[in-house]
Amino acid sequence: MGGSLHHGGVSSPLLPGLREALGAPGAAMAATFLAFGAAVQEAGLSAGWALLACWGIYGMPGQLVLVQAASLGWAGGIGAAVMGAVAVNARFLPMAVSITPVLSASSRWQLLPAVPFIAVTPWAAAMRALPAVRRPDRIGWFLGFGLTSWLVAGIAALSGFHLAGALGPEARAALLFVNPLYYALLLAADLDRPAPRRAVLCGVAAAALALVLPPSIALLAAGIAGGTAAFLLGRRHGAG
Amino acid sequence: MAPADLALALTALACLGLRLAGVWLAGGLSTEHPAIAWATAVAQATLAAFVALALLAPAGALAAVPLPARLAGLAVGVVVCLAFQRRLMPALLAGLAAMLAMRALL
Repeated sequence: MGGSLHHGGVSSPLLPGLREALGAPGAAMAATFLAFGAAVQEAGLSAGWALLACWGIYGMPGQLVLVQAASLGWAGGIGAAVMGAVAVNARFLPMAVSITPVLSASSRWQLLPAVPFIAVTPWAAAMRALPAVRRPDRIGWFLGFGLTSWLVAGIAALSGFHLAGALGPEARAALLFVNPLYYALLLAADLDRPAPRRAVLCGVAAAALALVLPPSIALLAAGIAGGTAAFLLGRRHGAG
Repeated sequence: MAPADLALALTALACLGLRLAGVWLAGGLSTEHPAIAWATAVAQATLAAFVALALLAPAGALAAVPLPARLAGLAVGVVVCLAFQRRLMPALLAGLAAMLAMRALL
């Protein structure tokens, strides 16, 4: 009986995703959102704003664009700040397109609860883990992962907000290093598969566009140019 | 409404719109569809470009960390990741430690 109780306790479809989110993804996210919370405090915004920015936008580059604009007193206008924030987070669109068939919901309505969690960390973790998860369990996995990451992000941002004074520039630099390192590791782990390898190499090469384009659109332009080049190279390999 | 709150509300709505548009556009397509393959390549390339820029030409506090320290952290992290069956947590800690050690040395 003890066995069946135990089994009943762990059978929620949300749990595998929750457990996955508490490992390296949660650590990387917590580090970044701690640094974000400290930056919000320094820009003179409130703790509530920090929390709503995490949960409402849930895309760090866009969040940072707004904080930077706030610290400059919205000198460039609200419209320009919003457009810059949306442009650096425009990857949500191709990420949502690419993850939708992987989640394999029976209808679009079933996907609605998952929509707010479509962001880099859950997307990357899901693209890695979901092919090995049974199709009916995939939405549950993603919701478990997304909700856990959301909570971790919110708690970390609030902690960063209140710890801002104690975090020196050295500590903040270390925290800010964890996030790109985590994504670099995710990409490196994928390099033995040809399609992701092409996309990663083309994306890194296209990052050079940032030297000539304004920062607000450089990332989007590099992604579209690099991704399209990788896609076309892949088609040619497939055909030849 | 304060400017910060208005900017946050507008950005959050636009980001939700992007996510909904992606889900709606992809509805009914399989993972093998060329449009899905293209969108996946664009998303991966964007992430790769983001990582390259964040590590090679960062803004803010990370810019104060010398480039060799950032590259040492990246190299050690990737080597540990590939050597230990792609387990991310040990690789993350090793990469961070390598960056801090190199920064202390320089």
